[in-house]
Amino acid sequence: MALIEFADFSFKYLGADSLALKRIKLTIDEGEYVVITGPSGCGKTTFCRAINALVPQFHRGYVAGNVYTDGKNTRENEVATFASVAGLVFQNPENQLVTLDVEKEIAFGPENLGVAPDEIRRRVEELIDLLDLEELREKHPHEMSGGEQQRVAIAATLALRPKVLVADEPTSNLDPTSAEVILEIIAHLNKRGMAVVLVEHRLDLVAKDASRIILMNKGRIVADGNPREILAMDLCEEIGVGVPKATQVYKRLKTRGVELRNVPLTGVELAELVQEATSR
Amino acid sequence: MSFLEVFQYTRQDSIMHRLDPRSKLVLSIVCAAVSMMFMEIIPLLMVFICLLPMIAAAKSLGRWAKSMKGLGALLVFVLVFNTLLSPAENPLSYSLSLAIRLVALMTSFSLFFLTVQPDQLSQALIQMRVKFEFAFAMSMAMRYVPTLGQEAYAIMDAQRARGVELDKGNLIKRIRNIIPIIVPLIIVSIRRALSIAESMESRGFGASENRTYMEMLRFGKRDWAVALSSLLILILVIYVRFFVGLPGWMLWGLPF
Ligand SMILES: Nc1ncnc2c1ncn2[C@@H]1O[C@H](COP(=O)(O)OP(=O)(O)OP(=O)(O)O)[C@@H](O)[C@H]1O
Ligand SMILES: [Mg+2]
Repeated sequence: MALIEFADFSFKYLGADSLALKRIKLTIDEGEYVVITGPSGCGKTTFCRAINALVPQFHRGYVAGNVYTDGKNTRENEVATFASVAGLVFQNPENQLVTLDVEKEIAFGPENLGVAPDEIRRRVEELIDLLDLEELREKHPHEMSGGEQQRVAIAATLALRPKVLVADEPTSNLDPTSAEVILEIIAHLNKRGMAVVLVEHRLDLVAKDASRIILMNKGRIVADGNPREILAMDLCEEIGVGVPKATQVYKRLKTRGVELRNVPLTGVELAELVQEATSR
Repeated sequence: MSFLEVFQYTRQDSIMHRLDPRSKLVLSIVCAAVSMMFMEIIPLLMVFICLLPMIAAAKSLGRWAKSMKGLGALLVFVLVFNTLLSPAENPLSYSLSLAIRLVALMTSFSLFFLTVQPDQLSQALIQMRVKFEFAFAMSMAMRYVPTLGQEAYAIMDAQRARGVELDKGNLIKRIRNIIPIIVPLIIVSIRRALSIAESMESRGFGASENRTYMEMLRFGKRDWAVALSSLLILILVIYVRFFVGLPGWMLWGLPF
């Protein structure tokens, strides 16, 4: 059984004139690292919401088809049912911190689900350690930077022990350094075995870690596959997806008749491939 | 408004902070009730003098003093107006006791608000069988006050930059000027509330009938001691005030 399965799923928000998702068909398995990208308004956020039933339970509207997360139909189960399966992290960290300290914030989810206090305490300590939150323990959300807030928000989500972390542009409100820290954390979580669905524009930062990239446009999935394969497509430029510098160079070389053996995603890879091509 | 700081929680490690919010609530209400019972200068001063060591025990004397300085202008106002307008026999004496009473009241309540974190307050309410959703809504309101404040400032700046003159004109005009602030603020807040709700639902808010709590407040020996002795003092004061009468020297007032 796939962890997440979209079965011909379409959705239109109440009061909207067009579908936000159009006949989405795909599966995501355990351990995958899926990056979703596409122009503004193409339905990325709606896709994330559909994974844990926020669409169509919290945001109502017209629905066709089904989504099964961990085998459960999102049309038939409440959002809370999915809390310990899919952990969502949103764009605005401030709106995800609802208590006044880090420990309480991490405890909030498990408390809601009725986890035993000893076990909650254990998870809190584990996550403070894992996400390096020790200095934030005593801080009010207002005294934290955006990056620190987002780290706490991720910890609070992980406290529910989800099987997949779904992060919707978690770095778009952050400065570049904090953004890199957050993306490193996410890559690390994936290496420890957690499935990741990440909406991100800065492909130069995530393409190397991803196992799969999905391009969306106007509510549809227009490409889905291995990062190298997807980023080499001309479609990326056509819909305005920011391809990493190294891959851009690869494409330009190709138009001039120089074909590298593989599609590079980072500067280092590009250098190696160029060296290989010139020494041949 | 700096005098309001005395009602704002400050993180400290002190005996007062470690007490259970419920025992502090009793203490605080008893102190306030006692100060409301007297109109004479000497008993009010005595209440006030008893309160100071408690503020000191909360390691908050500095903050308290700063707030009282901020309150100074208001106190002078109370003194002057009451002295001039009061029909009492000794108007100055009367206004002086009013002023002391105000300070004593504020100090009594600050004892509670300075040392109880909003989350703790909601935990206390929950353990007093208030519904979780209600108690949590209250602590969340406090959590988002500063956020809302920041947002209001940002909107004011934006509107000023577009030429809205916020602090010009007569009263009616000024009230009308608030509209370009309030309307966007409401819209932004609704959007924020939705996004907060989304995040809370995703974390199972309202899911289980059997919500657990990582930490329960414990009403310890010290809390019993504080609560019971506060009540005892209240009973004693009521008895003396209403059934025995104050000794003559306590009734002393200024002759004018
Ligand atoms: N709550 C809502 N009510 C009505 N329409 C909505 C709502 N949220 C999104 N939409 C609409 O649905 C479509 C898809 O929006 P969505 O937020 O999923 O896009 P997105 O790819 O996340 O965009 P962005 O990159 O700007 O975050 C858009 O046309 C948007 O206007
Ligand atoms: Mg979005």
